[in-house]
Amino acid sequence: MAVMSGTNSNNDYPIYAEGLMRHFGDVKAVDGVDLQVNAGEVFGFLGPNGAGKSTTVRMLTTLLRPTAGVARVAGFDVVKDADQVRRRIGVALQDAAIDPLMTGHELLALQAVLYGIPKAKVRDRSRELLERVGLTGAADRRVGTYSGGMRRRLDLALSLIHQPTVLFLDEPTTGLDPMSRLALWEEVRRLNAEGTTVLLTTQYLEEADQLADRIAIIDHGKIVRQGEPRELKAQVGAPTLVITVPTGQLDQAREVLRSFGELRPTAEGSLGVGLSAGAEAVPAVVRSLDDAGMQVQHLELNEPSLDDVFAEATGYRLEGAASASGLPQAQGAEGGTGKRGRKRGTNETTGESA
Amino acid sequence: MSTGTLTPRAEFAHSAEASHAWSQTMAMSKRSIIAIVRQPALIIPSLIFPLFFAALGASSFNRATQLPGFPKVDSFLALTLAASVLQGVIFGSVTGGAALAVDIETGFFDRLLASPTSRVSILIGRLAGNALFGCIEALFFTLVMIPFGVNIRSGPAGIAVITLAGGLIGLSIGGFMAAMALRTGSAEAVQGVFPLLFVSMFFSSAFFPRETMQGIYRTIANYNPLSHLYEGMRDLVITGWSFDAMLKSLLIPIGIGCVSIPLALLALRRRLRAV
Repeated sequence: MAVMSGTNSNNDYPIYAEGLMRHFGDVKAVDGVDLQVNAGEVFGFLGPNGAGKSTTVRMLTTLLRPTAGVARVAGFDVVKDADQVRRRIGVALQDAAIDPLMTGHELLALQAVLYGIPKAKVRDRSRELLERVGLTGAADRRVGTYSGGMRRRLDLALSLIHQPTVLFLDEPTTGLDPMSRLALWEEVRRLNAEGTTVLLTTQYLEEADQLADRIAIIDHGKIVRQGEPRELKAQVGAPTLVITVPTGQLDQAREVLRSFGELRPTAEGSLGVGLSAGAEAVPAVVRSLDDAGMQVQHLELNEPSLDDVFAEATGYRLEGAASASGLPQAQGAEGGTGKRGRKRGTNETTGESA
Repeated sequence: MSTGTLTPRAEFAHSAEASHAWSQTMAMSKRSIIAIVRQPALIIPSLIFPLFFAALGASSFNRATQLPGFPKVDSFLALTLAASVLQGVIFGSVTGGAALAVDIETGFFDRLLASPTSRVSILIGRLAGNALFGCIEALFFTLVMIPFGVNIRSGPAGIAVITLAGGLIGLSIGGFMAAMALRTGSAEAVQGVFPLLFVSMFFSSAFFPRETMQGIYRTIANYNPLSHLYEGMRDLVITGWSFDAMLKSLLIPIGIGCVSIPLALLALRRRLRAV
C-alpha cells in the first residue's frame, strides 16, 4: 500500500492531533494525545477498555469537543470545520448502532440522503456496497434479524456510502466470531489497498499486528508507544521465557529468574523473564531452577510480541490480569471503571504467546 | 516517498448542502413512520385504548348527556371523539419521543451526528413523523366512530380539520416529548411523562363540558388550553361548521407547538453543545 511520509505539513496528514485532551470532570480520559497518521496507512490504536481509544475517536469524528489541543482530519479542523470533516470521513462506531426495524437497503438509502448522494446514484452504490460486504441476499431483511457479523458488515457498508477518504473503525470486531473477524479484516485490507486511510481501534493484539502499518498504544489517556509493530517488538529485544512452578515455589523461582534478565508480566500463576542472553540461556535457566530444587511444570519461550511491547510500556499485559511477578494491576481511567486487562463482551481469545 | 496533499476522493463531498435539508428531513420522517408501522405492539394500544375508553364512557355516561349544561348530542361518543383523538396522539407522541431517546441510547443518534446532516432535520424529521401519525390517528378515530352513530355535522370539511388538528397535536406534544428525550437521553424518562399528560386531560373538558363542572376543577379546566381545543373539535362534530371552531382546533395546537418546538430545539442545542 502507498503510505505517504516525509516532510508533511499538518494539513497533509489525513489525521493529525497535537496535545489532544478530553476531561470529564476530574477524569482525564484523553490526556495529551499526539497523532500523525499518513495517507494510505492503516493505523492501529491499541489499548484496554477505558484507555481513551473511543474518546479519541469521538473527538476526531466531531462527536466530542476536545477540552484542549488541536485535531485535523482530512485537512480540516475537527471543531472549526466539523461539517467539512464529516463529509470526508466514514465512521463505524463501537456498537454497530443500526436501526433494527429497517432493512439493509433502507438504511443505505437513508445514509445516502444524509450525505447528499444524488438519487440516481443511490441504487448502484447500495448494490455495489451490499455485494462488497456479502449482504446482497439479506438486503431486504430487517436488520433485527441479522447476526452480529452481518450488522458489523452493514455498518461498514454504511460508513462507505460516500466513498470517504478517511475511515474510522472503533473496535470493529469486538464480539465477532473468528470467521466474521477474518472477513472484516479482509475488507479493511481491501479498502486500504484502494487508498483509504484507516484508523482502527482495537483491544486485540493480533488484530493490530495483522492489520496496522503503525500502531499507537494508549494507556490512561496517553500514548505510551508508537511505531511499526516490527520496530516496537524489536525494541523489546529479548525473548520472554515463561515458566510455571507450584504456587509455593513462586517467590524462590522469581529470585532465580532475576539473574537471567528483567522479570516481565505474565498471566497469574506463572513467571516471565526477558532473557538478556537470548534463547541460548534457556538450558542455564532450567539447570538453575533444577539446582534450586524447583519443580518446573511448564516452560515456553516467546519471541517478543505486541503483548510484550504493551507490557513493557504499561507494566501489565493486555491479555489477562496482572502477573504473579509483582507488577501492578491494571486500573481504568476513562470513567474510572477499572475494567483493565479483560476483554469486553467477547468469547474470543487472541493471545499472541507462542 | 513524496509529500502528498489531501484531495477529497469523495465525489459526493460537496453535494450535501443546505438545499438537501428538505430531503434529509423527509428521509428522517420516513424512518420514524417506518418505526411506528413496524412496531404493532406499540401502535395497537394507541388505537385500541382510546376506543376502549370511549366505549366505556359511552356505556357508563350516556345518560349524563341529559344533565343540564350538557350540549345536545346524539351520543356520549360524539362528545368524546376529540378526547379519543388526543389520547391516541399522546400515546403516539410518547412513542416517538421514546424512539428518539432509544436512538440516543443505542448510538444511532451519533451515527446521524457523524454525518453532514442538518441537526435540525434530525429533530424536525422525527416531529414530522409524529404529525403524520397524528393525522392518521385522528382520521382513524373519526371513521371508526361514524358507524357507531357519531354524526360529524360539519361534514367532510370538519373531518379534514379534525385530521389536520390531529397532526398539529402530534407535532406539538411530540415537541415536548422530543425535548424530554434530548434532555435526558432516556426512553424510560420519556415514557414516565405519559401519566402526567393523561391526567391533564381529566382537568379539562375532555369528558364533560365545563358547564357541568364546579369549583377548582372548573377553574383549572377553564385555564387548560386542552379544554378549548376539545371544544373546538367537539363543535365541529356536534354543532356543525364554524370558523371559530376551526380556529380553536388548529390554533391551540399551533400555540402549544410554539412553546414545545423551541423547547425541543433548545434541548437539541444543549445536547450538541454538551458533547
